[in-house]
Amino acid sequence: MAQLADVEETLKRIEAHKGVIGTVVVNAEGIPIRTSLDNSSAVQYAGLLQDLTMRARSSVRDMDPQNDLTFLRIRSKKHEIMVSPENNFLLIVIQNPCE
Amino acid sequence: MHHSSCAEVEETLKRIQSQKGVQGIIIVNSEGIPIKSTLDNSSTVQYSALLHQLLMKARSTVRDIDPQNDLTFLRVRSKKNEIMIAPGHSASLLTNTLLLFTLAEKLKNIS
Repeated sequence: MAQLADVEETLKRIEAHKGVIGTVVVNAEGIPIRTSLDNSSAVQYAGLLQDLTMRARSSVRDMDPQNDLTFLRIRSKKHEIMVSPENNFLLIVIQNPCE
Repeated sequence: MHHSSCAEVEETLKRIQSQKGVQGIIIVNSEGIPIKSTLDNSSTVQYSALLHQLLMKARSTVRDIDPQNDLTFLRVRSKKNEIMIAPGHSASLLTNTLLLFTLAEKLKNIS
Protein backbone atom coordinates (compact mmCIF):
# COMPACT_ATOMS: atom_id res chain seq x y z
CA MET A 1 0.00 0.00 0.00
CA ALA A 2 1.42 3.38 -0.99
CA GLN A 3 2.53 5.65 1.83
CA LEU A 4 0.82 9.00 2.07
CA ALA A 5 4.11 10.73 1.27
CA ASP A 6 4.50 8.68 -1.91
CA VAL A 7 1.00 9.58 -3.00
CA GLU A 8 1.62 13.24 -2.32
CA GLU A 9 4.90 13.10 -4.24
CA THR A 10 3.29 11.39 -7.21
CA LEU A 11 0.49 13.92 -7.37
CA LYS A 12 2.96 16.81 -7.14
CA ARG A 13 4.98 15.28 -9.96
CA ILE A 14 1.87 15.03 -12.13
CA GLU A 15 0.85 18.58 -11.28
CA ALA A 16 4.30 19.89 -12.16
CA HIS A 17 4.04 18.36 -15.63
CA LYS A 18 3.76 20.86 -18.44
CA GLY A 19 0.17 21.44 -19.42
CA VAL A 20 -1.45 19.91 -16.36
CA ILE A 21 -4.26 22.15 -15.18
CA GLY A 22 -5.23 20.17 -12.11
CA THR A 23 -5.79 16.85 -10.39
CA VAL A 24 -8.62 15.42 -8.31
CA VAL A 25 -8.56 12.23 -6.27
CA VAL A 26 -12.09 10.95 -5.68
CA ASN A 27 -13.10 8.35 -3.11
CA ALA A 28 -15.74 5.66 -3.45
CA GLU A 29 -18.45 8.04 -2.26
CA GLY A 30 -17.67 10.50 -5.04
CA ILE A 31 -16.03 12.96 -2.67
CA PRO A 32 -12.81 14.68 -3.73
CA ILE A 33 -10.25 13.86 -1.04
CA ARG A 34 -7.33 15.67 -2.58
CA THR A 35 -7.20 18.24 -5.33
CA SER A 36 -5.16 21.06 -6.78
CA LEU A 37 -8.33 22.74 -8.01
CA ASP A 38 -10.66 24.97 -6.02
CA ASN A 39 -13.20 23.09 -3.96
CA SER A 40 -16.32 23.68 -6.00
CA SER A 41 -14.62 22.69 -9.28
CA ALA A 42 -13.25 19.57 -7.62
CA VAL A 43 -16.70 18.60 -6.37
CA GLN A 44 -18.17 19.19 -9.80
CA TYR A 45 -15.51 17.16 -11.61
CA ALA A 46 -15.75 14.40 -9.03
CA GLY A 47 -19.50 13.97 -9.31
CA LEU A 48 -19.76 14.22 -13.07
CA LEU A 49 -16.79 12.04 -13.83
CA GLN A 50 -17.71 9.37 -11.33
CA ASP A 51 -21.02 9.10 -13.16
CA LEU A 52 -19.43 8.96 -16.57
CA THR A 53 -16.79 6.47 -15.44
CA MET A 54 -19.47 4.16 -14.06
CA ARG A 55 -21.28 4.35 -17.37
CA ALA A 56 -18.07 3.62 -19.28
CA ARG A 57 -17.28 0.70 -17.01
CA SER A 58 -20.71 -0.86 -17.39
CA SER A 59 -20.52 -0.41 -21.16
CA VAL A 60 -17.23 -2.29 -21.23
CA ARG A 61 -18.64 -5.07 -19.06
CA ASP A 62 -21.84 -5.29 -21.08
CA MET A 63 -19.78 -5.82 -24.21
CA ASP A 64 -17.61 -8.41 -22.49
CA PRO A 65 -18.21 -9.51 -18.88
CA GLN A 66 -14.58 -10.62 -18.58
CA ASN A 67 -13.29 -7.21 -19.53
CA ASP A 68 -12.91 -4.13 -17.35
CA LEU A 69 -12.30 -0.42 -17.77
CA THR A 70 -8.72 0.70 -17.15
CA PHE A 71 -8.62 4.29 -18.40
CA LEU A 72 -10.82 6.99 -19.85
CA ARG A 73 -9.73 10.00 -21.90
CA ILE A 74 -12.19 12.74 -22.62
CA ARG A 75 -10.88 15.22 -25.11
CA SER A 76 -12.68 18.49 -25.65
CA LYS A 77 -11.95 21.71 -27.48
CA LYS A 78 -10.40 23.35 -24.45
CA HIS A 79 -8.59 20.52 -22.70
CA GLU A 80 -8.36 16.81 -21.98
CA ILE A 81 -9.61 14.98 -18.92
CA MET A 82 -7.97 11.69 -18.03
CA VAL A 83 -9.61 9.36 -15.56
CA SER A 84 -7.82 6.44 -13.98
CA PRO A 85 -10.17 4.23 -11.94
CA GLU A 86 -8.67 2.00 -9.28
CA ASN A 87 -10.36 0.19 -6.38
CA ASN A 88 -13.45 2.42 -6.45
CA PHE A 89 -11.22 5.52 -6.37
CA LEU A 90 -10.68 7.83 -9.30
CA LEU A 91 -7.63 9.80 -10.24
CA ILE A 92 -8.65 12.69 -12.47
CA VAL A 93 -6.07 14.74 -14.32
CA ILE A 94 -7.01 17.70 -16.47
CA GLN A 95 -4.47 18.84 -18.99
CA ASN A 96 -3.94 21.04 -22.00
CA PRO A 97 -2.75 18.56 -24.57
CA CYS A 98 0.48 19.52 -26.32
CA GLU A 99 0.06 20.42 -29.97
CA MET B 1 -15.51 20.77 -46.74
CA HIS B 2 -16.70 18.31 -49.33
CA HIS B 3 -18.86 15.26 -48.94
CA SER B 4 -16.76 12.10 -49.29
CA SER B 5 -17.90 9.85 -52.07
CA CYS B 6 -18.98 6.33 -51.21
CA ALA B 7 -15.76 4.97 -52.69
CA GLU B 8 -13.58 7.29 -50.64
CA VAL B 9 -15.35 6.30 -47.42
CA GLU B 10 -14.90 2.62 -48.30
CA GLU B 11 -11.26 3.18 -49.03
CA THR B 12 -10.67 5.05 -45.76
CA LEU B 13 -12.38 2.30 -43.79
CA LYS B 14 -10.29 -0.34 -45.52
CA ARG B 15 -7.13 1.59 -44.73
CA ILE B 16 -8.04 1.92 -41.07
CA GLN B 17 -9.18 -1.68 -40.84
CA SER B 18 -5.88 -2.92 -42.25
CA GLN B 19 -3.85 -1.21 -39.52
CA LYS B 20 -2.27 -3.58 -37.10
CA GLY B 21 -4.42 -4.17 -34.04
CA VAL B 22 -7.68 -2.81 -35.43
CA GLN B 23 -10.50 -5.14 -34.47
CA GLY B 24 -13.40 -3.30 -36.01
CA ILE B 25 -15.04 -0.10 -37.08
CA ILE B 26 -18.62 1.02 -36.74
CA ILE B 27 -20.09 4.20 -38.14
CA VAL B 28 -23.25 5.36 -36.41
CA ASN B 29 -25.49 8.21 -37.40
CA SER B 30 -26.72 11.01 -35.15
CA GLU B 31 -29.44 8.75 -33.73
CA GLY B 32 -26.94 6.06 -32.81
CA ILE B 33 -28.02 3.73 -35.59
CA PRO B 34 -25.14 1.83 -37.18
CA ILE B 35 -24.90 2.59 -40.86
CA LYS B 36 -21.69 0.75 -41.59
CA SER B 37 -19.72 -1.87 -39.70
CA THR B 38 -16.92 -4.36 -40.10
CA LEU B 39 -18.19 -6.39 -37.14
CA ASP B 40 -20.90 -9.03 -37.04
CA ASN B 41 -24.51 -7.90 -36.82
CA SER B 42 -25.30 -8.62 -33.18
CA SER B 43 -22.07 -7.05 -31.90
CA THR B 44 -22.69 -4.04 -34.09
CA VAL B 45 -26.17 -3.50 -32.72
CA GLN B 46 -25.10 -4.00 -29.12
CA TYR B 47 -21.95 -1.88 -29.26
CA SER B 48 -23.60 0.94 -31.19
CA ALA B 49 -26.35 1.31 -28.62
CA LEU B 50 -24.01 1.20 -25.62
CA LEU B 51 -21.38 3.48 -27.03
CA HIS B 52 -23.79 6.00 -28.48
CA GLN B 53 -25.30 6.38 -25.00
CA LEU B 54 -21.85 6.71 -23.50
CA LEU B 55 -20.96 9.33 -26.08
CA MET B 56 -24.07 11.35 -25.22
CA LYS B 57 -23.20 11.15 -21.54
CA ALA B 58 -19.60 12.21 -22.16
CA ARG B 59 -20.74 15.11 -24.27
CA SER B 60 -23.17 16.36 -21.63
CA THR B 61 -20.48 15.93 -18.96
CA VAL B 62 -18.18 18.23 -20.88
CA ARG B 63 -20.96 20.77 -21.38
CA ASP B 64 -22.05 20.62 -17.74
CA ILE B 65 -18.54 21.59 -16.69
CA ASP B 66 -18.31 24.34 -19.29
CA PRO B 67 -21.23 25.16 -21.62
CA GLN B 68 -18.83 26.74 -24.10
CA ASN B 69 -16.79 23.57 -24.38
CA ASP B 70 -17.53 20.53 -26.52
CA LEU B 71 -16.40 16.93 -26.72
CA THR B 72 -14.00 16.20 -29.55
CA PHE B 73 -12.83 12.65 -28.82
CA LEU B 74 -13.35 9.84 -26.34
CA ARG B 75 -11.03 6.94 -25.62
CA VAL B 76 -12.21 4.03 -23.52
CA ARG B 77 -9.38 1.77 -22.55
CA SER B 78 -9.97 -1.64 -21.01
CA LYS B 79 -7.86 -4.66 -20.20
CA LYS B 80 -8.40 -6.25 -23.57
CA ASN B 81 -8.85 -3.37 -25.97
CA GLU B 82 -9.34 0.30 -26.62
CA ILE B 83 -12.35 1.97 -28.13
CA MET B 84 -11.89 5.31 -29.80
CA ILE B 85 -14.96 7.39 -30.42
CA ALA B 86 -14.86 10.30 -32.83
CA PRO B 87 -18.19 12.07 -32.47
CA GLY B 88 -20.02 13.59 -35.37
CA HIS B 89 -21.15 17.20 -35.41
CA SER B 90 -24.72 18.05 -36.15
CA ALA B 91 -23.73 21.48 -37.44
CA SER B 92 -21.43 20.21 -40.16
CA LEU B 93 -21.54 17.65 -42.95
CA LEU B 94 -19.72 15.23 -40.66
CA THR B 95 -22.76 14.12 -38.71
CA ASN B 96 -21.75 10.50 -38.27
CA THR B 97 -19.78 9.14 -35.36
CA LEU B 98 -16.90 6.76 -35.82
CA LEU B 99 -16.35 3.92 -33.36
CA LEU B 100 -12.96 2.30 -33.61
CA PHE B 101 -12.10 -0.90 -31.76
CA THR B 102 -8.45 -1.78 -31.34
CA LEU B 103 -6.33 -4.10 -29.26
CA ALA B 104 -5.00 -2.54 -26.08
CA GLU B 105 -1.47 -2.14 -27.34
CA LYS B 106 -0.18 1.15 -28.66
CA LEU B 107 -0.92 1.92 -32.27
CA LYS B 108 1.57 4.18 -33.96
CA ASN B 109 -0.15 4.88 -37.22
CA ILE B 110 -3.65 5.90 -36.22
CA SER B 111 -3.78 9.68 -35.96
